[in-house]
Amino acid sequence: MTEGDRERIGDYVLGLLEGADLAAFEQQLASDPELRMAVERLRGHLGKLDDTVEPLPANPALWARIASELDTPVVTAAPPRAANDNRWRGFAGIAASLLVALSIGYLAGSNFGQAPQPLMVAVLLTEGSAEPAVLVEAFADDSIRLVPLELAQKPDDRVYQVWTLPDPETGPISMGIFEDPQTMRLAGPNLPAPQSGQLYEITLEPTGGSPTGRPTGPILVKGFAKTPL
Amino acid sequence: MFHLMTDPKTAEQLIAQIATGNRSALAALFEGESGRLVAIAQRLLRRRDLAEEVVQEAFITVWRQAASFDGSKGSARGWLTTIVRNRALNLLRDSARMDFEDSEKLTELGDRQADARAAYEALSIKDALRHCLGMLDASKREAVLLCYVTGLNHGEAAAFMNVPLGTVKSWVRRGTVALQECLS
Repeated sequence: MTEGDRERIGDYVLGLLEGADLAAFEQQLASDPELRMAVERLRGHLGKLDDTVEPLPANPALWARIASELDTPVVTAAPPRAANDNRWRGFAGIAASLLVALSIGYLAGSNFGQAPQPLMVAVLLTEGSAEPAVLVEAFADDSIRLVPLELAQKPDDRVYQVWTLPDPETGPISMGIFEDPQTMRLAGPNLPAPQSGQLYEITLEPTGGSPTGRPTGPILVKGFAKTPL
Repeated sequence: MFHLMTDPKTAEQLIAQIATGNRSALAALFEGESGRLVAIAQRLLRRRDLAEEVVQEAFITVWRQAASFDGSKGSARGWLTTIVRNRALNLLRDSARMDFEDSEKLTELGDRQADARAAYEALSIKDALRHCLGMLDASKREAVLLCYVTGLNHGEAAAFMNVPLGTVKSWVRRGTVALQECLS
């Protein structure tokens, strides 16, 4: 472990790494168990500072809010939760496509006869090297089909979150989050029909999706929609 | 009549039950841990409502992702702390930067210095972290504590300590490198 690694471990655990530095470090973390252990060790020690707080009494009203959120359906709900449900895992091939298609009320797709025509297609490129990384097809029913070609590995405590920018006034809108890069369809929120030139991007966000509803993590890939000929 | 006492379950045991969809285990985890987590988030965010929002999201995350918790990487309480800290820090970093000309804000920052120092002084005298923090120069210790305990970023810590940005960056880096060496 180099001095530079130790510096970045410190900055990371203190929440001081941002942007490209954060993305690069998290990529390194994903592939380096020794580095992950060093991060956990420092977290374990510094966590003693957190534990010096005087705990507040548990607030029953806060529990009531949490309990009511547990009851909201997950897969059919608007993003960012849709793609994060564990039901996305453990099924393969057609079974997964069928489950997903049914759960978002969309019984069509390449496995099932006539495929619908996307209104727009975007090829998302990696931020650094501008390699094609993810293909996005946007449909008239607000859903998108995502075909990852090559996506940077993510740390365990991050998820991929898909965003689009219908127009600058609206700002970025979450299309959903996912953990395992694979071909998938995301229901998407109710938006105006996708336009040529519309931005799509994928960022790394904390587990559960961006806490602010706006992208907070590093941009991994992005691209602009074009009308297919 | 006998009163049946069962040992309170550890956070690890509760998270294993939550992973199977056991809602009363989540309620028990909330009962045992939420007060600590709200207080941690509040020390970072300075507002109870935001702190509770962060903890609410954290418990939803725990409910959905309990199966991904890996006890070999760290403790369950540490996992909860990390989820809450990350969300709170994202919220802090995302909100508008502080205006340090504002005298009210400087008073607020004064509270932060007190918070940072109180956390250090509340550490057990036998704790290795306390010992290793104590080995640092006062300025490095203060920079590390301000950033970790109260969530200041480099720029905010620099403005508060009245030193250039680069100085704070190097204090924090050298401080955390020395801590890791001392703690290993």
